[in-house]
Amino acid sequence: MATPTSTSLAHTCTRCLRSRTPQLSRQLYLPAISNNRTFSVLHRPPPNYPGHVPLKLPERLFLAAGSAIISLIDPRRGDLIALLGETTAQPYFIYRLRDRMLKHPTGRRILRDRPRITSQSLSLPYLRSLPANTIGATYVSWLDREGVSPDTRSEVRYIDDAECAYVMQRYRECHDFYHAITGLPIVREGEIALKVFEYANTGLPMTGLSAFSTLTVKKDERDRLLSVYFPWAIRNGWKAESLLNVYWEEVLEKDVQEMRDQLGIEVPPDLRKTRAEIRKKRREDKGGKVNTVAATTTNEVVEEAMVETEAEREEREQREIERQAMEILERADRM
Amino acid sequence: MLGRTLRVGAHLSPSYRSTALRKLSRSSPIANAFFQQPVSRDARHNSTSAYQGIGGSPGRPTGGGGVDPVEVSHFDALASSWWDAQGPSRLLHLMNPMRIDFAKHCLSMGIPVEATTDAGEGGGEGSSRGLTVLDVGCGGGIFSESVARLPNTAKVIGLDPSEQVLGVARAHAKKDPTLSEKLQYINSSIDDYTPDHQFDLITLFEVVEHVPYPAAFLQTCMRHVRPGGWIVLSTIARTWSSWMTTKLIAEDLLHIVPRGTHDWYKYINEPEMRSFFEKQHGWGSQGMLSMGCLYVPGFGWKAIKGSEDYGNYFFGVRRDL
Amino acid sequence: MRRSLLHLPIKRSAWAIRTSNVARIAATRSFASEASPNPEIYDIVVVGGGPVGLTLAASLGAARATSHLKVALIEGMNLASIRDWKPTPDYFANRIVSLIPSTVKLLKETGVWKHIKQERVQSYDGMQVWDGMTDARVEFDWNKLLGGRQEGVDTTIAHMVENIHLSHGLLQRLEELAVKPTMIDKTKVEKIEYGQLTEEVDMRDWPIVTLSNGQKLGAKLLIGADGGSSPVRTFAGIESRGWDYNRHSMVATFKIEDDSAFPKFAYQRFLPSGPVAILPLPGNFANLAWSTTPEKVAHLKSLAPEDFVAMVNAAFRLSYTDIDYLHNLKSGVVEETKWRESVTKYPDPPTIPMRITEVLEGTRASFPLKMKHADRYIGERIALVGDAAHTIHPMAGQGLNAGVGDVYSLVKSIADGISHGQDIGSSFTLEPYQSERYLPNNALLGFVDKLHTLYGFESGPLVPLRSLGVEIINQDWFGLKKFLMSQAAKS
Repeated sequence: MATPTSTSLAHTCTRCLRSRTPQLSRQLYLPAISNNRTFSVLHRPPPNYPGHVPLKLPERLFLAAGSAIISLIDPRRGDLIALLGETTAQPYFIYRLRDRMLKHPTGRRILRDRPRITSQSLSLPYLRSLPANTIGATYVSWLDREGVSPDTRSEVRYIDDAECAYVMQRYRECHDFYHAITGLPIVREGEIALKVFEYANTGLPMTGLSAFSTLTVKKDERDRLLSVYFPWAIRNGWKAESLLNVYWEEVLEKDVQEMRDQLGIEVPPDLRKTRAEIRKKRREDKGGKVNTVAATTTNEVVEEAMVETEAEREEREQREIERQAMEILERADRM
Repeated sequence: MLGRTLRVGAHLSPSYRSTALRKLSRSSPIANAFFQQPVSRDARHNSTSAYQGIGGSPGRPTGGGGVDPVEVSHFDALASSWWDAQGPSRLLHLMNPMRIDFAKHCLSMGIPVEATTDAGEGGGEGSSRGLTVLDVGCGGGIFSESVARLPNTAKVIGLDPSEQVLGVARAHAKKDPTLSEKLQYINSSIDDYTPDHQFDLITLFEVVEHVPYPAAFLQTCMRHVRPGGWIVLSTIARTWSSWMTTKLIAEDLLHIVPRGTHDWYKYINEPEMRSFFEKQHGWGSQGMLSMGCLYVPGFGWKAIKGSEDYGNYFFGVRRDL
Repeated sequence: MRRSLLHLPIKRSAWAIRTSNVARIAATRSFASEASPNPEIYDIVVVGGGPVGLTLAASLGAARATSHLKVALIEGMNLASIRDWKPTPDYFANRIVSLIPSTVKLLKETGVWKHIKQERVQSYDGMQVWDGMTDARVEFDWNKLLGGRQEGVDTTIAHMVENIHLSHGLLQRLEELAVKPTMIDKTKVEKIEYGQLTEEVDMRDWPIVTLSNGQKLGAKLLIGADGGSSPVRTFAGIESRGWDYNRHSMVATFKIEDDSAFPKFAYQRFLPSGPVAILPLPGNFANLAWSTTPEKVAHLKSLAPEDFVAMVNAAFRLSYTDIDYLHNLKSGVVEETKWRESVTKYPDPPTIPMRITEVLEGTRASFPLKMKHADRYIGERIALVGDAAHTIHPMAGQGLNAGVGDVYSLVKSIADGISHGQDIGSSFTLEPYQSERYLPNNALLGFVDKLHTLYGFESGPLVPLRSLGVEIINQDWFGLKKFLMSQAAKS
């Protein structure tokens, strides 16, 4: 495989599944992920595909429970979210998702071709050259903004059926396309909304379990999720064509809106804009009292620096962590 | 005689009871001590202790069994539904195969020398002649028709005092063209019937409980049996259980048969019947047997050993050769 | 016409229900062949010359108590083609029946079985039945259950025989009978009505059958072996209740890969659209019985032979999702299944059937499936047997077996009636037949119908439950499996 999975680095992601920050110390929470072979001394059947780790039911339950608890406590553990996704997808859900693909001509073709999304299979410079309204351009702009490459997805190991393992892999690799098509940002709130959307669309339990992380966000965000984004996500995820049946590699030049119409997805209220407006409003409330100049300036960054609420500080710190993570990642990629 | 009957009893099905076994188990019957005279309906109904056994000596000097006009009119009323498969005579229809079986069983123990044996349905090679049957009180002809269809039957006379009932019998027999050669219905009581020959088999199915003088009636019938031939009858024992089933349940509660079809006081118990025939000279030494049977809803008639003391029973007695 | 009915062609011999004089019967037979406007009187008229009707005629002729009866059998098709059937070893017909041991026993008693060419009969003592959704499997294998093949123990579950072969054997048996029934073929029943009252006979409750050739037959007992839409049943005013499954059964005969290394098994996989079964035939032949929707059957029939073969192979190997998808393909099934089978895990024979290599030309056919049960099997001078009384889903292969069971029960009732001097047409004669057969048939129909419903679910709570039930049966807990297998052999 071309993908440098590098379990030793164990890239993790703050909100989505992407592994970004190497968190070597945290890897010790669950002892055996990096070296599954030693996890059980019991007899293990031979793997069904390269990289496959057959699990016994108690192991599966333990891993699922452990990864669920820890990823709820620490949503940045993308590796654990991925693990949770794999351990809960069986026995039923992933097969159902696979069958949905098999019933669809395109989904069937995808299963037959088993395309992988990597920096080799996708020409990023070409995508950057596409018009901004295309899926390809939107996708690559997400990558660029978040500073990630398509190669940073971890390999599926715990799904027993080779074809279903591919389905899981495909779901994971296409995650950024879902961001692109829904327009939901990679902030925690957007990520949760997207997970619920995915749950309604794919039925994978992990995506549904992610909704519990709503409990860990701030109250106004939670209220917004519950009143606006969850209804949108459930409605759209349910009625839209299965996103796994989209051959993304073939629709890169397509207009995003056209694709949305084709899949039957409404654009959710712009989360970035909403957040910006709320911030602005807050600033105005505060600025009225503290600094009247702030109202006239258009430079948000400057303003944030000047009048930083607690939430904004948190977000800024978050971005800083992400930026640092990117640097490390780039270094790692170069190695 | 004892040896003979015991031997007979031994090869019978367990539900049949032979004379000898009977004698051992029971003391002499009481019936003869009682009513010698027919009682009017009213009288009987007024007296709770009154019951009618089998008359030991006939109350009627003519020697006939007599015909009760009330009974005749009753069967006239039943006539139209006689062959209705779901009608009041359904239980009689269901009992008919058992009549045939019992009669066949009796005949298998011995028949008049010149008559052929019933060698089953297939054979009869070299048979001299078929059997002659007199069905007394034939009613709509349920038994008469079926016995006439048997391959070894040469002639069946169905006798009944009710012209109306015989009309039904004749009309029904016309539905089966094979019957016309063998079956003949005569509207007469047994007292007035004067056949030119004796019969191999005389059947009295569900009849003796309907005649006023059973003893005289039986004796009249006996005169028409050829030596070696049989009288085969069926009737109901006079017990609490037969009162419950034939009077209370069948007539009053479920209306399976019209009210008044049965007169419980006329019922004759099996020991009374047996004792009567034991007293008849030239009868029963070569075969006398009975078989109790019971109607089990959902299963039909079943021969049950010992049930002759409770309800319906068959009785067969052979005239000595 | 009405007037002429009043004058019956009275020949005493025609009425004799018991006659040892064969010559007299022969005389009346020749009379029957004339197109007479007056009814000729028969003891029994059987309408329908299918396997059940022929079995009825054969067993009436073979049983001692009924062999003297004057019987006529009416069939619309040409029986000569069955009589002259010449089998070849490289061809098997597509319509086959599964005869359970009790049926074969009855056929032996009737003297029919000796006319069946054993080299064209395939028996099997194992069955593999599994759920197309969950793969929950019941393995009925006497030899495994008894711990190896045992001498002297007949472990046969059923014998597969071509329909035409059975009918051919039955006709041969009829030829042998001392008193042969009057066979009237290529003739349809025009109408059935009640007879008239005449001087000699009252035929007002006798069914009189008028044939398309003008012949009239008076029946003391009219037996309908005339199939699901029985005219006899209609005449008797007996309601038949049930429903259309909206399923057709697709049949075909195949050549399969050499299976001599394995025991002969019957295979049935329950797909939500209906069960698909492969039944063994001698040599490298096998027969298909695939119940599915009419649209899918039409698709199967329209496919090129190699695509059809690939489709049937896939039906025992691929997931229902795939099979469903394959039904959308007009061509290229071979290609598509090759890919799917490469990524799908499925067991090897003999757990699943051998791979089919070729479909015999012209053997693809289909027929609609129904569940119907007559309210009663008898009326005054009327009896119904086989499909006229009950139509069953073929998944359990019990249709003809139930029909043969009817026939023997009915013949037994008639024989019993005769030995007790009953009119053979009277309901008292026929009642034992009805009471012996109705409830068992009703239970069988209900069971198969419930199976059809139960396995019609693609998902939902019943899917794991049915699999659990199947697992319990398969484990042979409480001896349940042995019990079921012995019941199936008896039924």
